[in-house]
Amino acid sequence: MLPDETVVRTTLSGVTQAEVSTSTLGVVVRIPADDASSALAALKASSLDFIMLVDLLGTDTGEEVEITYHLRSLTRDEDLYVKCVLPYEGVLHSVWNVYASALLPERETAELFGLTLAGHPNPARLLTVDDTEPLLRRSVAIRTLEEVRDR
Amino acid sequence: MTDPRDTVLTHALQAEGTYDSGKAPAGIRRIPRGVDGLATEHLVVNIGPQHPSTHGVLRLVVELDGEEIMNAEVAVGYLHRGIEKLGEHRRYHQLGTLMDRGDYVSGIHGELAAALATEQLLEVEVPAKAQWLRSLMSEINRVASHLVWYGTFGLDCGAMGQFLYAVRDRENLLDILEAVSGQRMMFNYVRPGGVVADLPADAEQKLRTFLRTIDGYLEEHDALLGGNEIFQKRVRGVGAIDRTTALSFGLTGANLRCTGVPYDVRRDKPYAAYEELQFDVPLGSTGDAWDRYLVRMEEMRQAVRMIRQCIDGLPEGDVMAKVPKVLRPPAGEVYACVESPRGELGVHLLSDGSDTPYRFHYRAPSLFAMQVLEEILPGQLLADAIMLIGSVDVVLGEIDR
Repeated sequence: MLPDETVVRTTLSGVTQAEVSTSTLGVVVRIPADDASSALAALKASSLDFIMLVDLLGTDTGEEVEITYHLRSLTRDEDLYVKCVLPYEGVLHSVWNVYASALLPERETAELFGLTLAGHPNPARLLTVDDTEPLLRRSVAIRTLEEVRDR
Repeated sequence: MTDPRDTVLTHALQAEGTYDSGKAPAGIRRIPRGVDGLATEHLVVNIGPQHPSTHGVLRLVVELDGEEIMNAEVAVGYLHRGIEKLGEHRRYHQLGTLMDRGDYVSGIHGELAAALATEQLLEVEVPAKAQWLRSLMSEINRVASHLVWYGTFGLDCGAMGQFLYAVRDRENLLDILEAVSGQRMMFNYVRPGGVVADLPADAEQKLRTFLRTIDGYLEEHDALLGGNEIFQKRVRGVGAIDRTTALSFGLTGANLRCTGVPYDVRRDKPYAAYEELQFDVPLGSTGDAWDRYLVRMEEMRQAVRMIRQCIDGLPEGDVMAKVPKVLRPPAGEVYACVESPRGELGVHLLSDGSDTPYRFHYRAPSLFAMQVLEEILPGQLLADAIMLIGSVDVVLGEIDR
């Protein structure tokens, strides 16, 4: 189910430059990265009742890293996607104060896209060892075992 | 229960990075030195990554005061294969093969999520028979997966017999899955557009034979473990998760339903043939390990109920829609999810119109189930930690991806 765009817009009236649109994914809100925590808190507390952060993922758009927060309301059976962009080597501000489920996905996203994690209780790497390249960047090539050995 | 965020803040081990017994991190109680100069101190123990009770390669760092856990931190990544990165260099048909190796205990569900996402991008209509076969195989796989959980959960609690019985029944199910797909675990059966093959006659025969005995066996399983007083004493009232915590940590599946939240993807966002199948969504009330046990046991009975409906109501027709050999979906972004035995398994696909996905993301339910361990373990006994890892039913293959 798709949430009402107008209600989403009203809820985020405190966030300047919030853009609401509908795509193949569903209703997508684009916000400045600095407002992520406050925007998510507003959406969670609003009548839209986005009680769950279902998922958090990064995408390398070729110019910057796009972070997608997937929110869900169980009472209204609606999903909402909040997106913001960060520069490469940018700082990802943790939203675990709003949604505790962001704790591990944020660590994973930060290490795999080469971002710095701020405001997180344990900003350590999750999946890879120190000095691993940011693997999910488009510029990092996929290599065969032989190529890895020859490096 | 307190605010979940408070507990995370007191994770002294995480905040400090390393543990130094000479310097007590904030929030940890120091025991004063006795008159003879001797003192007790907290002990940091690594459980895993190769311990049999960690269900794969989970490493749990626990800080102990005697037998009691003060802090717990989960350390993962020992099985990281870069499935998401590999997916960006594979064609859409090949995503299922990767998903099989994520949650390797219930491969059908992973394949199905990838196929659903691809079909959403392509806007393909899947034939009715394929939809029913998808549901049938999903439910067979769900019982097989829950039997692994049932057997190993008993082992974690110190029981042995139930594991042998669970493996006996799972073998029969794997034989059926093999007869249909050709593989015991890495099926590659569900493809974008439908399924790869019709149900062969010998598989149907095996399934009907299996269905003659399974009801009695499930009751036997329940009586053997659930009817055991020692087991009940181990799990009742231990590791309770309340609704707020469950939702804020993103739990799904049986881990969420045991707290009384009625959310099931099969019912609330129907896919495959679930709209036409009759089934109940079992709910718990207290959210403890005993409720998680009861919910999963009932899920097996409901799955068997659905297998019967699927095999009796299987429509005639094709099992594969007309799809090109090389898929080039139009540009767009989609999310598709299924109810895997561990919860909501989702696939997030971003297409740029080429023959490989631009971004392929795997929402692993176990990842979210596992982070709640850091929340519920403090205050428990070390022996219960092993039981609680078993009770949330995580598969490390999909956590590390």
